[in-house]
Amino acid sequence: MRKPIRPAAVAVFWAACAVLLLAETVVVKIQSTVLRKEPKFYAQTLVNLRSGEKLEKLASQQGWLQVRTAAGAVGWVHESAVDTKSFNLLAMDKSMKTQASASEVALAAKGFNKQVEESYRAKHGNLSFVWVDRMLNIKVPAAELEKFLKAGRLAEFGGAR
Amino acid sequence: MNTPRFRIPILAVGFALLAASACETLQKGVGAIDAQSAKVQSVAKVAKQIRSTFADISEEEEYYIGRAVAANILSRYDVYNNEGLNLYLNAVGAAVAAYSDRPETYAGYHVLVLDTDEVNALAAPSGFIFLTRGLLKRCKDEDTLADILAHEIGHVCAKHGLQSIRKSRLTDAFKLLGEQAAQKYGPQELAQLTGVFENVLGDIAEKLIERGYDRKYEYEADELAAEFAARMRYDGGGLLDFLGTMAKDSTGSADKGWFKTHPGPQDRIGRVKGQVKTFMREKVRTDRFRAAFKGLK
Repeated sequence: MRKPIRPAAVAVFWAACAVLLLAETVVVKIQSTVLRKEPKFYAQTLVNLRSGEKLEKLASQQGWLQVRTAAGAVGWVHESAVDTKSFNLLAMDKSMKTQASASEVALAAKGFNKQVEESYRAKHGNLSFVWVDRMLNIKVPAAELEKFLKAGRLAEFGGAR
Repeated sequence: MNTPRFRIPILAVGFALLAASACETLQKGVGAIDAQSAKVQSVAKVAKQIRSTFADISEEEEYYIGRAVAANILSRYDVYNNEGLNLYLNAVGAAVAAYSDRPETYAGYHVLVLDTDEVNALAAPSGFIFLTRGLLKRCKDEDTLADILAHEIGHVCAKHGLQSIRKSRLTDAFKLLGEQAAQKYGPQELAQLTGVFENVLGDIAEKLIERGYDRKYEYEADELAAEFAARMRYDGGGLLDFLGTMAKDSTGSADKGWFKTHPGPQDRIGRVKGQVKTFMREKVRTDRFRAAFKGLK
């Protein structure tokens, strides 16, 4: 006699299927950002994230998304750092997925990029990008930001109206 | 044994879940399917379908546009190179940006001081922000400075620079971008695209540096500044103070800098006054402001 399937096991199976089908992938659209332990910019960094990295969206909260990386790390990214115009994990069959990502890649790789800037700079030799690059190097680390907010009694550390 | 009786309803629930998911998938996938079929006809058509307005400019493209606009601004002004002041301004900028509607841009927000007595503040796409020494001298505390930076960050959040690009330029660019799928441009395509890039920069520079953004964008940036400042618990009254100072400023010339590129200060005060929220200007903030501004020429 065949062993009957337990209802709980079937329910778990379908729940897992539903979770997988409804899971949403988001893609890092900026040069780099970090996965944070809490939904705050000064929260502890868990891992660095690079442009194009795919993340599984788990939840959202006031502009922040809780995500899981391919390596399994779970944390928070701000929605302004990721592209949410992605498809469900099983939104398409394999061939469609390949075609869609091919056109996305083609568009992402093209456009105004480093090659166009170099061409523009070659035409406008009088323009200097030295200070543009120098200003990009002025960075405020998360720990400094937290210190700055706390010391200045700003935002959630803030004073009375 | 009654287990099999549960199997059908459970399976039915499962199929219903799958069906619901498939419907959602189908809805979300319609755009992709449309694009795919168009791709068969022409890659260019796909590009046009996917990208048609300023909002479709990618973060990376906006960054390269912003870099070149910044280089053009820096070709007109010298830099006031004061490391301590730069660090402080960038801390205030980073704090305001973190509580704005767009905290993260491709390479973040960065603030630099331009060495001129002229009063001006300029925000290039993607977060390259410039404040002149003349403007800084008219700020009396951190709250006022933060409100001004919030206004500039508001321009970046609302992509006012990108909205200054003529629609025809975008049509040209997107058409060109869709024509070939090569990873690198050939010489002819690169020359064409560089030409479009120059025109795009010309459109932004004309508005940002020469004529100023449309008035509605300035009012919108004021509204955003009031909102961001309130989230930070900075006193929004700083913006009103600055505008009041500018209204009384007799050194400004109507055809130069801030006066030329912004609507009248009294007009702006009248519009934004009801939206600013007042908070106590903490002494600790004014103290660190004074320390950072010490020695500003």
